[in-house]
Amino acid sequence: MTTSTTRSRVARLLAPIAVLGLFTAACGSDDGASSSNSEPATTDANSEMMDGPKIQIRGQDFSEAITIAEVYGQYLEAKGYPVEILTPAGFRTEALDGLQSGDFNLIVDYVGGTQVEIAPDAASTADVDEIVANITDPLRALGLTLLDYSPAVDGDAFVVRGDSEASTISDVAELDYVLGGSSQCPERPQCLVGLEDPEIYGITFADFITLEFGPLLGEALANNEVDAVIWNTTAPQITEQGFKVLEDDQGLFPAQNIAPIISTELLEAYGDQLVADLKELSAMITTDDLLAWNTETDIEFRESDDVATEWLKSKGLL
Amino acid sequence: MIAAVASLRPSQTAVPRDIGFFEWFFDADTWTGATGILDSLRDTVILCAAVTLVAVAVSVPVAAILAHLRRAEVSSTWLVSISRAVPTFAIAALLLPWSLERGWGFEPWPIFIALLSLALVPIYLNTYTAIRQLPEGPVDAARALGYSERSILTKVELALASSLIFSGIRVAAIQVVATEPIRAFLGGDGLGRYVRDGFGQNNNTLVIGGIVLIGGLAALTGLIFVALERLVLPDGVRRLTRQQGETSP
Repeated sequence: MTTSTTRSRVARLLAPIAVLGLFTAACGSDDGASSSNSEPATTDANSEMMDGPKIQIRGQDFSEAITIAEVYGQYLEAKGYPVEILTPAGFRTEALDGLQSGDFNLIVDYVGGTQVEIAPDAASTADVDEIVANITDPLRALGLTLLDYSPAVDGDAFVVRGDSEASTISDVAELDYVLGGSSQCPERPQCLVGLEDPEIYGITFADFITLEFGPLLGEALANNEVDAVIWNTTAPQITEQGFKVLEDDQGLFPAQNIAPIISTELLEAYGDQLVADLKELSAMITTDDLLAWNTETDIEFRESDDVATEWLKSKGLL
Repeated sequence: MIAAVASLRPSQTAVPRDIGFFEWFFDADTWTGATGILDSLRDTVILCAAVTLVAVAVSVPVAAILAHLRRAEVSSTWLVSISRAVPTFAIAALLLPWSLERGWGFEPWPIFIALLSLALVPIYLNTYTAIRQLPEGPVDAARALGYSERSILTKVELALASSLIFSGIRVAAIQVVATEPIRAFLGGDGLGRYVRDGFGQNNNTLVIGGIVLIGGLAALTGLIFVALERLVLPDGVRRLTRQQGETSP
């Protein structure tokens, strides 16, 4: 028997499997990426469509940011702006890069995070206005404008199991905890670097385990693989799984209000009207809304664009 | 010296974002310590070797016996291959909560089982097909000479099929090495850590370094198997394979 017949035989045996493989892959449940590919909302027969450049908004690739992008995008669309909600991708670095290169012209970011990226040398602070002051000029130098921030906050959270003896982060210094966090954590001043810095918390952790940011943090914490994780305050699993957030008694974590960042070019095209419209929306979003959206997308596995539509309708904005 | 932040333990050394690949790769600190390449390489090699050995130990005997008996051709092939219909990452990710609940931790079981399901397939298919498709002459001759069925399987069929079985093992081993880095995305370590950390920290040097290391190890695995093939396979089988290769390229 020759090898070529062998090969064709193997191929024949594998063919039905390959088909099944494609089928399974197509049905795979990748909740983050697939949830919000809402079609670009451009060709509606909207007679009141404004003239001007298209507003292109892109969310970062995690459920809360995806929902936020849907909320802002659908809201502006309802106001008559030509809007395209792009498929979410990347995180902050990619968002700010894309804004500068003109791939899109509107993002919604967390101000404290923006500061780490844009003005890394500025002091971390829990005062949101101070952060706004720190980042406004560096953003403007990049051709970007920070708009009015929302009262909604999604900050960093030092999360432990409900039965932990600690109530502040300082208490953890005594406890020899294993910390879990994303792969950014070890290099970020607002994360492991600050927690270990003797002048801030000076905690010596027994170990640090790198975990994908998201539900895996909760799984690891609940099953005692780690004793604490760096998560975000609006993670619905915190209450769902009976965890508690420790008080940041040394003020390590910056204020993290959400705020739109827009290319100055787009801003000039629409002027004060757009600023006022976005301000109106930002002012209406609360931290509880973020938590409610995350519960719907992450716990109930609903589509972020539906969650956004529903919320906008409940506020009479659609 | 890469260590950027003195307060960090050596295991958490931050790698500067603007460091060049060669500067990173040829720095001694990159290779030593708890997050060093040597440690990660060891983790990866141990897991891959264990997976490949178990896959061989399970696949080869079962496939050989079933092929010898001409049994379960379609059903067993389906059963083995169906595990390949589910992406390896999905298998590991699905097993992870199960492992955590039992207190077995992130490693090794989820990633081990996922990689095993990857490795079983080429070894099983190659072994089964190789034996099933042997020319009937040698087997009949052995039977006529009074060989027991067991001896026919071990001394004739497995020997004649060894080249193809070996190439199945080689393919499996390379696939395992190239896939093992997903464990870094599931709470583990190994060479995948550089890709994971590079993505997370937006550090292309780390991503490229990880890819070079993983690709290099996979290529090296292939070479090692080529060398092993020369050592292990009977001379006659190697000559036979070469001749077959000449007649049907």
